[in-house]
Order: sequence, then C-alpha cells, then structure tokens
Amino acid sequence: MSEAIDARVLPAPGRGALALPFSWARTVPYLLAAPLLVYMVVFYALPVVTMLLRSVTEPDWTLAHYAALADDTVFLKVFWNTLYTAVIVTLGALLLGYPVALALVRTRGWTAAIILIVILLPFWTSVLVRSYAWMVLLGRHGLINEALVAAGLLDRPLRLLNTPLATYIAMTHILLPYMILPIANALRQIDPSLAKAASGLGATPWRTFRQVILPLSIPGVAAGVLLVFVLSLGFYITPAMVGGPREITLSMLIAQQVDQLNWAYASCLSAVLLAIALVIIGGAWRLPGIGNAFRMSGR
Amino acid sequence: MRKHRSPTTLGRRAAFGLVTAGLAAPFIRPSLAQQAWPEQTSIPDALKGSGEVRIATYGGTMQEAQQKAYFEPFEKLSGIKVRPFPGADPTKVKAMVDTGNVEWDMAQLSRGSIMNLQKTGDYFEKIDYSLIDDGVSPEFRFEYGLEMLLWAQVLAYRTDAFKGATPKGWADFWDTKKFPGDRAMFGTSGGGWPEMEIALMAAGVPADKLYPLDIDKALASYDKIKKDVVKWWDTGAVPIQLLTDREVTMTTVWNGRMAALQAAGVPAAISWNQGLLKRDAWGIPKGCKNKVNAQKFVAYSTMAIPQARVALGIPYGSVNSKSNEYIPAARQEVLPSAPAIKSQLVNYNYDWWIANRETVIPRFNKWLLS
Repeated sequence: MSEAIDARVLPAPGRGALALPFSWARTVPYLLAAPLLVYMVVFYALPVVTMLLRSVTEPDWTLAHYAALADDTVFLKVFWNTLYTAVIVTLGALLLGYPVALALVRTRGWTAAIILIVILLPFWTSVLVRSYAWMVLLGRHGLINEALVAAGLLDRPLRLLNTPLATYIAMTHILLPYMILPIANALRQIDPSLAKAASGLGATPWRTFRQVILPLSIPGVAAGVLLVFVLSLGFYITPAMVGGPREITLSMLIAQQVDQLNWAYASCLSAVLLAIALVIIGGAWRLPGIGNAFRMSGR
Repeated sequence: MRKHRSPTTLGRRAAFGLVTAGLAAPFIRPSLAQQAWPEQTSIPDALKGSGEVRIATYGGTMQEAQQKAYFEPFEKLSGIKVRPFPGADPTKVKAMVDTGNVEWDMAQLSRGSIMNLQKTGDYFEKIDYSLIDDGVSPEFRFEYGLEMLLWAQVLAYRTDAFKGATPKGWADFWDTKKFPGDRAMFGTSGGGWPEMEIALMAAGVPADKLYPLDIDKALASYDKIKKDVVKWWDTGAVPIQLLTDREVTMTTVWNGRMAALQAAGVPAAISWNQGLLKRDAWGIPKGCKNKVNAQKFVAYSTMAIPQARVALGIPYGSVNSKSNEYIPAARQEVLPSAPAIKSQLVNYNYDWWIANRETVIPRFNKWLLS
C-alpha cells in the first residue's frame, strides 16, 4: 500500500524523498533492472573490456598496435573494403526497401499480411541458411546461371558466386527487413490528412510524396540506414561464404588474427570496429527525430 | 553443343549437390573395411588406471573412426573412461590455460599449433616418452606433443573436366590452358599457413630443395595463378563443396575428405604426386586434471593396432611402423602412409614454419590484397 502512496508522491521530488529515508518507489525500478544489469556487466561488459584491454597491455602497456595500423596496408585495404561494402549494401537496401515500406503501409488486409510475411520469413531464417541459399542461386552451375544459359542468353555461365557482387546481393537481402520496418513505422505515423490536404491544394501525387511524405519519413530512413550500415560493418559469415577471394572484411580479419594467435592485434581491430560503430550511432542520435523512429507504433 | 534442360531440374540438382556436400557428408560413414579389424587383447600395466580422460577431437567422421578405433578399446583395456569433445582448437587451449579453467586433458592439434603456442608461454605438458611404443619413429616425436595421424594436402580434380587428361602435379595445377577452369587453394583465414611449398613446386623447385622456403619466388609463382583462384579456403568442407558444385575444376584438399565425396558419387579424384604430408599431434594442455591418464592414452593410441584401426576407419595414415602388417593391401592404396604413396609426398616442415610464420603470413596477406 505504501508503495502506491509513494508512487504518487514521486513526481514532486523533495517532499516524498525527505519524508521517507528509504523510498521503495525509487528503489523498485532499479531492483527490476538489476538482474539484467548484473547479467550484462558480468557476461558482456567485463569480457568485452578484458578483451579490448589486450590491445594495450600486450606485451606491456603500449599503444604500439594502434600506431602500427596507420601504415598497415592490409588493415587499410580491409578497412576501406568494409566501409565500401557497408555503403553499397545500405544504398541497395534503401532503394529496394523504401518502395516496399510504402506498399506495406498503403495496403490493407491480405495483401499487407502477405508483404509482411515475405519480409519477416527470411528475417527469422538463419543467416547461414540464407547464405547457402544464395550459393545455390548464384553458383557457376546454380539456378540463375543455368536458367540464363538454357534461355540462350549466355554462352557459358558467369562467375557470380565468389565475387563482391555476391556479397552485396546476399547482404542486402539479409539486411532488408532492418531497412523496411523502421521506414514503414515512420510512414505509418504520418497523419493521412496531410497527404489529403496536399492533393486538395493541387499537388500531384509525386509532389505530395516529394514534399510531404518523404521529408516526414526521414527519421525512419535515418534509423534504417543506421541499423543496416552498422550491422553491415560486422558481417562475417556471408562475405566469407559467397564473397570474392580478396574481399576481406574487418570481422574476417579479426577472426583470422584470433586463429593466428595475434590476439593483441585482433583486439585492436575489434576496438576500431567498435569505435566506428559508436561514432556512427552517436552521430546519428543527434539527428532530429531518430529516437522517434525506434519507438513502436500501436496499430 | 549445349544441352537444353529445364532450369528447375538443374536447380534441384544443384541444391541436392549442396545438400550432399554440406549436410549429408558428415553423416556418411567412411567405407569401413568389411573384414574384421585387428583387436588388441592386452596392454602393459603402466597404461591401466581409473577415472577418465577428456579428449578434444576434430569431430565428425574423424571422431567416429577414433571412437571405434581406440576410444572404446582403451576404455575396456585400461579401465579409464574416455570423454570426447568435438572442436579441438589451439585458441581454446590458450584461453583455457590462460584462465586456469582447463576442460580438456588432451587435444588433437598439430606440431605447428602446439609449438606456436608454446613459444608464447607454458601451455603444454611434456610427453612421457617412457610409455611410448618403439614402433613410433623419432621423426614424429617432439617435447610437447606426439604426432598421431598422417594426412596429406593434395591436388584433387573433377575427372569430367579435362576430357580424360590427368593433372600430375602443381605445374599442371598452374596450367590453366591445358586444364581450364577455376581453382581453390588453402588460405590463411582459419589460422592456416599458405601453401608456399606448392607455389614453389609449380615454379619448378624440386621437392627436396624446398626448405628454407624462398618467399619472393613463391609469391611470384602465386602471381601466375592468383586470378584463377576463386576461393582461399579455410576448412576442409569448402573445397569439397566447390568440387561438388563444379565451382572449380581443381583444388587442394585434405585427402580424408575425398572419401566421403567419392562415396557420394561425385566424379573427382586425388593426384598424390607432390602432395604435402602433414601430421596431427596429441598435446596435453598444461594443468589439466587427468594428465596421467592423458599420457597413458597418448601411448596407447600410437601403438601398432590402434593406429591400424584408425587407418581402416578413415583414410589417414599411421605413425607406427608396425601398423602396416595389420592393414590390407587394398586399403593401403588410399593411405598417405602407404609406401607407394608416401614416396610421392613431400614431408611438411613444421619447424621451418614455426620459426618463420610471423613474417611469412603477413607477407602473404599483403600479397593477397595487392
């Protein structure tokens, strides 16, 4: 009972806090969060910090591993390849995803349900399985090549698998839901009467889209771009399975260095990867309305 | 002459090929020889004991063969229980010893990975050579481990790709005019060491003059094949899948993996000539709970009969010179330890790699991205 009373006093600080030396209302939220907090600290934060410390403590306290990165041609090539891949995949997902998000919001009933299922089914399938599926499709004697050859469009099968193109295609497919869902969410929050007002004032559908819908959906686009870009940075399985022989990503280089027992170097690379992601997220968070886009909308 | 076939049929076939290679292969038993395996009926008292020994293996068909070849007999003969753990990995040994939580009493590794780790700290127990069978020749013995399995990294090719022509060595592997098609080779991504020896042999260096490796010459030779290599593979399943799906016409492979591929009916074969003869080794992680039992198992598993039994279960060779008398002639034809095959292979020099790995691998990585 006293908890309920305290909860009501909570908005007026000072009074409740002063009246009771120990306030349940203040403690309960912390207690509720405590198990997860302890879990995250013990099983996530501590191991990550311990791992990252290796990059400055081996063999002794040193920043030499970081200093060496500047002239490390392997690192620089891999670093640019990782960023370049992330940019291509993000653009691809945006161009393919935005129209789908529009379709998802504009349709009702069965059509909407089918679009949603088509987006979500692959989303719930393991990345490994989807990468294997792309191998079946893109292989030298896979579905696409055999179909093109059989149709007489090609004389001999193309090399599609084990190329950067295969990485872009497979990663874009895998990451599409992360683009579509935030954009659809933002589109859904736009008041339909705004579009009606625009067309009532004589705007063409294209102009309505360009000047009303698109600007209002930008927070969703920003959230989708952010999610897809940051997730692309850490991709490992897909580029390793379908990618070209020389298109190594940062996470592939990290895995390789762990296996080669260069743990300090691997940890230094991980710190760089983490830093890029944090800088991007931190930068994006300052954009207006991006927090909004992550909020769930009731429908 | 193009054959017109419906794409769906081919799609299904491609999918089937993939399923066979990727999913079913681990479950296909290696063709276990039909005749009875040799049985060992007694062991020296020094190898008997109690309790258990926890052994990290490479899992899959390898562990199945080991289970029947020497895990089960050892349990019966010694009274020590064997608990296998698939997933042997030097990085895990490092993590276990570093944190003082050693969950394996012994692990299947290689002389290279054991000595690499040992160079950076004290990670392995010394082998108790007073227990080891005298059929195990000195070349397989080293202070912190004992080699216990012979295998080969060899040339494998699609027999339907070259109109009956047979590649006979690395010069043929490099010759994409006579033997057209894409290639795959072993890379560095899984902690592996690149096949510098192979690049040198392709450039005409004789097998007995390989070491010390001339890295400049090897990279210059690699330059000539680079554009044809579509995959630098890191685990044994990859080249097998590439051969099955006809992504490549020639690749390097671990010889044991080919048995499952051939059993699945894929037209592919091994060319043993100039292959690299490599070895797996038992290592005993420092501070493990059952190190006495581990020493006993190391000794038992390298005796003549257990070694012969492994070679019957999976096409890898024995390190015990007395094993050959227990292995039928037909089986000898697929084993890297068989005299007729071993003579075509090049003994892989782990010691050279342990001494030079740190400079060679970054050079290879740099070359790959240039």
